[in-house]
Amino acid sequence: MVDLGVATLTLEMVAENQMGMKAIGAALAVGLTGIGAGLAEMSIGSAAVGATAENKDIFGMALLLTVIPETIVIFGLVVSLLILF
Amino acid sequence: MLQPKTMTRLLIVGSKEQMSSAVTELYRHYVFHITDYTNQGKEGYEGFRIGQPMEGATEISTDLIKIRSIENTFGLSPDDYYDISKRSAHSIREIIERDLPKIETEVADLTAQRSAAEARIRVNEQRIAELTPFSAIPLELGLYQGYETISVIAGSTTRDIEMPVPVEKLYASGKGGGTMVIFFKNDDRAIVEQTLSDAQFQLIPVPQEEGSVRQRIDQYQSEISSLNASIADINVKIGSIKEKSGDFLAACDEVLSADIEQAEAPLRFATTDLIFIADGWVPVTEVENLKSGLSQATGGRILVMEADELDDDHHHNLPPVEYNNPGFAKPTQSIVDIYSRPRYDELDPTLMIAIIFPLFFGIILGDIGYGAILLVLALGLKRMLKGEAIQHLLNVLRNASISAIIFGVIYAEIFGAHPGALDITLWHPLISRHLLIGSHAHHQGDIAVLLVFAVWLGILQMTLGRSMSVVNHARHRNMVHVMGQLGWIAVMWGILAVIWSIAAIPLMPDLTMLPPIVMGLNIAGIIGAVLTVAGVIAIMRESPLELIEIPSVVSHSLSYTRLAAVGLSSVAIAMVVNFIAIEMLIEPNLKELTALGVVLIIVGIVVLLVGHLLNTALGLLGGGLQSLRLQYVEFFTKFYKGGGEKYNPFGKKRQLSED
Repeated sequence: MVDLGVATLTLEMVAENQMGMKAIGAALAVGLTGIGAGLAEMSIGSAAVGATAENKDIFGMALLLTVIPETIVIFGLVVSLLILF
Repeated sequence: MLQPKTMTRLLIVGSKEQMSSAVTELYRHYVFHITDYTNQGKEGYEGFRIGQPMEGATEISTDLIKIRSIENTFGLSPDDYYDISKRSAHSIREIIERDLPKIETEVADLTAQRSAAEARIRVNEQRIAELTPFSAIPLELGLYQGYETISVIAGSTTRDIEMPVPVEKLYASGKGGGTMVIFFKNDDRAIVEQTLSDAQFQLIPVPQEEGSVRQRIDQYQSEISSLNASIADINVKIGSIKEKSGDFLAACDEVLSADIEQAEAPLRFATTDLIFIADGWVPVTEVENLKSGLSQATGGRILVMEADELDDDHHHNLPPVEYNNPGFAKPTQSIVDIYSRPRYDELDPTLMIAIIFPLFFGIILGDIGYGAILLVLALGLKRMLKGEAIQHLLNVLRNASISAIIFGVIYAEIFGAHPGALDITLWHPLISRHLLIGSHAHHQGDIAVLLVFAVWLGILQMTLGRSMSVVNHARHRNMVHVMGQLGWIAVMWGILAVIWSIAAIPLMPDLTMLPPIVMGLNIAGIIGAVLTVAGVIAIMRESPLELIEIPSVVSHSLSYTRLAAVGLSSVAIAMVVNFIAIEMLIEPNLKELTALGVVLIIVGIVVLLVGHLLNTALGLLGGGLQSLRLQYVEFFTKFYKGGGEKYNPFGKKRQLSED
């Protein structure tokens, strides 16, 4: 017979565990939104550069359109800050 | 302020004899923005044609082309000569007549000599390349030719090829393949060629020269070096001409450019056989001045009319836009110009951006150390770099970094502050962005407060933007749009009131204590709900499609949280750099100095410097781009259209010449 050890959880371990989960959550919030924003900006950015090469005057508009999806990652950053602190 | 310079439309009508003096006078004043005449042949403009260039335009442009080509040879640009004494335009014209042909022939001769020498060098290099394969073969060049019954084939090959017929062959191996020379009887040609083509033999032409290969190559090389010397000599001569007459040429360029621009001005006027009409805009303050100048120059024989600017097609013919801002806001004009110049009939946001952009930059960067670095950088570059646009951008950077220093004081941060080992306790921050990184961390960050503070700024700025939109629409008596924009403000504040009545949020009024009236909503909640509904109705009346934009009220407000979030991430980087460098690498090793410890301390210092350098660059990029984006996306989209025509007066400020 194998003697099954009984795992005991102390309060500190629970707290540490929760802290680790929080950190993972925060990392997911920033990382996934970063990927999302990157994917969205990828195609907008290349189109914007092309359009700007055709007509320099629309640089402002091009920049504006390029940075619109970047709000997503800022939301992720805010959420992760709220989780961590 | 908030409004471009007021323009008056002037119509200048005169007989063609007066045209030249009128154009000269307009050029001198440098205030008249010409509207190009493009209505040729349209209804109501019968009989008007686009004018012809004045006499002499062709000669002037020929001279100008000559000067530009000489400038090109010298590699000089007229902008390089901005601080020399001015010459009189009259004397310059005389000198052009007298000296220009001489300088031109001189320069043309020298450039011709130079290109001839360069061509010789290329020929010689080609010869050397042809001779080099033969240098390893011990034969005089004369021996390769002049036979009647024998032929010679030379080529490159990787190995010594065996021949089935009697031949005299010489093989020299070398880097990247050897050279082989074969002398054979004319009768054997077919066999030899067949064998060689099977053996991957590549033909090389046999040089038609005499003497030893080595000698010929040396001779060509010495020729090349003497040619190079003569090119250097020619360059020195060209340099000395540039030294001597560079400023003269730059002044010529300026005078002739001015002349050509004046001579071609009629191309932008409407003319008949006898008269010309120049149509354009002048700032109101300059009108009287220009009028009297014109009537003096033409002896009063010219008619200047102030046209009513609100004629029938004023939408297609808006005045050009010249900024009218107080001095400190002028650099910001370049930021607005990057987006688009304001239209004449809308509010100019430059002044607001001049205040808000540095404010936001400061909130994001907010560090005395980084701010000081950027300030020094801006001031240093301002001394080194010339040019109006770059000076403006550097002024913006200077203002922004001063703001960063101020917020650094508020946040009590220097390079992330509280560096572990030094354990510096600064004054207590008004708002703390310090994070609990490292064992010496002092303050917990007021993250929630920071975020709400940022949202507040967003709410205020967006309300400001919508209010400006109300003003813009009110000017056009466009009441539906005015109500729509007011509706947006109502929706935003209505939602806020509802939120306040439900939840208590730091930095915001807490209205949860009020007694509930209907459906769990208290009085503030009800007012908020009413405002929201009224706002939605107003927006719907403006355009039902706008309704799908309503969530943007929330998303745009939350977008301002980047002010806190991006700033916090830069604080985190700074603190981590401090932690790694000081607490992990430097501090433990300072207690007991060992050889390895000294190395680690040096590594720690490098980490500290590189880390903070990188973070400064990131702070500049992040702070600059993020706060710019908030202006462009969240602020400008509320009220700003842009697309105004730039005020570009006819004339030029003379730097190098005077009348």
